[in-house]
Amino acid sequence: MNTIILNGSPKGTKGNSEIFARQFIKTMKHPCEVKYIAKENPQQLAEFVRNFDAIIIVMPLYVHAMPGIVMKFIEQLRPAKKGQAIGFIIQAGFPETAHERYIENYLRLLAQELNYTYLGTVCKGEAAGTYMKPEFMNKKLFKQLNHLGRIYEQTGAFDKGIKEKFGHPYKLSKFQLIFLQQLEQTGIGKIGWHKFLKANNAYDQRLDRPFL
Amino acid sequence: MKTVIIKEYGDFTIPDTYVLDLTQVTVKDCLGCWTCWWKTPGRCVHKDLDEFYTKYVNADKVIIFSKVTRGFVSGNLKTLFDRSIPHYLPYTTYTTGETMHVPRYERYPDVEVYYQGEFASEEGRKVYEDYICRTFYQFYFKGISVKPINDFCLEEVI
Repeated sequence: MNTIILNGSPKGTKGNSEIFARQFIKTMKHPCEVKYIAKENPQQLAEFVRNFDAIIIVMPLYVHAMPGIVMKFIEQLRPAKKGQAIGFIIQAGFPETAHERYIENYLRLLAQELNYTYLGTVCKGEAAGTYMKPEFMNKKLFKQLNHLGRIYEQTGAFDKGIKEKFGHPYKLSKFQLIFLQQLEQTGIGKIGWHKFLKANNAYDQRLDRPFL
Repeated sequence: MKTVIIKEYGDFTIPDTYVLDLTQVTVKDCLGCWTCWWKTPGRCVHKDLDEFYTKYVNADKVIIFSKVTRGFVSGNLKTLFDRSIPHYLPYTTYTTGETMHVPRYERYPDVEVYYQGEFASEEGRKVYEDYICRTFYQFYFKGISVKPINDFCLEEVI
C-alpha cells in the first residue's frame, strides 16, 4: 500500500513522534514518505494525501486528544477516495492508555464518517521521555515499532500483538497504583523535573502562580 | 461573579464578562516546548493569551460557545485547550486512581459549554460531550456542563 506518514507533533523532527515514525519505517523494504503537519499548509496537505492509499498519523497526546495543529489538518481532510485507509499511532506521557480512549473513539468515528477504511489506533503510554533515554533503554520499544512497521508493509494492517502490548496497562493495577502513590510521597517522581528546572535557573519559581 | 466567555459563534451580550472571541482570534499553537514547565513556570512562551489567562484563572465561571467541527472541538479551540498546560504543574499524582497532573492554582472556575453543530450519530455526540467533560475534569474544574446551544438560557447565566 502506498502510505504517507504524517508526523502530527508540533515539535516536528525533534520529538518522540519523529522517533516513533522513523522506527516504524526503519526496517520496511520501501520506507514510507514522512510529512510534517507542523510545516505544511493544512489545506494543501489534505489535497496531497489524496494521492496515497493510506494515511498514518503519528502524534503525541495533548490534553486527551490530538494536538491543535492535527485538528486543523482534520478540518481540511476530505472524504476518502475509494478504498483509502487511515490509521493512527499515538504516543503519550501517562503510563495508562485509558487516557487515549476518548480520542480513539473519535478517530474511529471520523474514519467512518469520511468513508476511510479504519486501520485502528495504536496507543503507547509512558513515552514522553523516549527522546531523552539512551538507546539501550529504548531497544525493546524500537524493536516493537520496527516489527509494527514491517508487518504493516506486508499486510496493510497494524499487528494485533504489538497493538495489545503497547496498550498495557490500560488502567493502573492496584499494585502499580500503590507503588506510584508511594513514589509520589517520596518525591522521587519530581527529581527529573527539578533537574531541568535547576538547569534553567527556574527551580525557585517552580510553583509560581503568575496570573493570579 | 467573574465570568469569561470563549466564543466561536453567536453574538451573546452578557454584561460584565471578558470575551475571547475565537471568530476573530487565532490562538498561537502550542509548540510542545515545555517552557511553561521548566523555564518560566506557569508562563507560556507565547504571550498572546496573557490577558486571557489572568481573566481565566481568576474567573468563577467560563462559558464556551463551541462550534462543532468534524464532530469535535475546532482546531483553534483545541489549541486553546493545549495552551492550558501552564496552569498545571508537571508533577503527576495518583490519588484519584489514575495519573493526573498536579494543579498549579488553588481553585479553578466552573465551566459551561454550549455547542452548535451537527453530529453524524448519537454516538458522535456522546464522544464529543465525554471528551469535553473529561478534559475539564482533568483540569480540576468542579462544575462542568456540556449542552447544545438550544439549552442556553441567558437569564440563568447572568
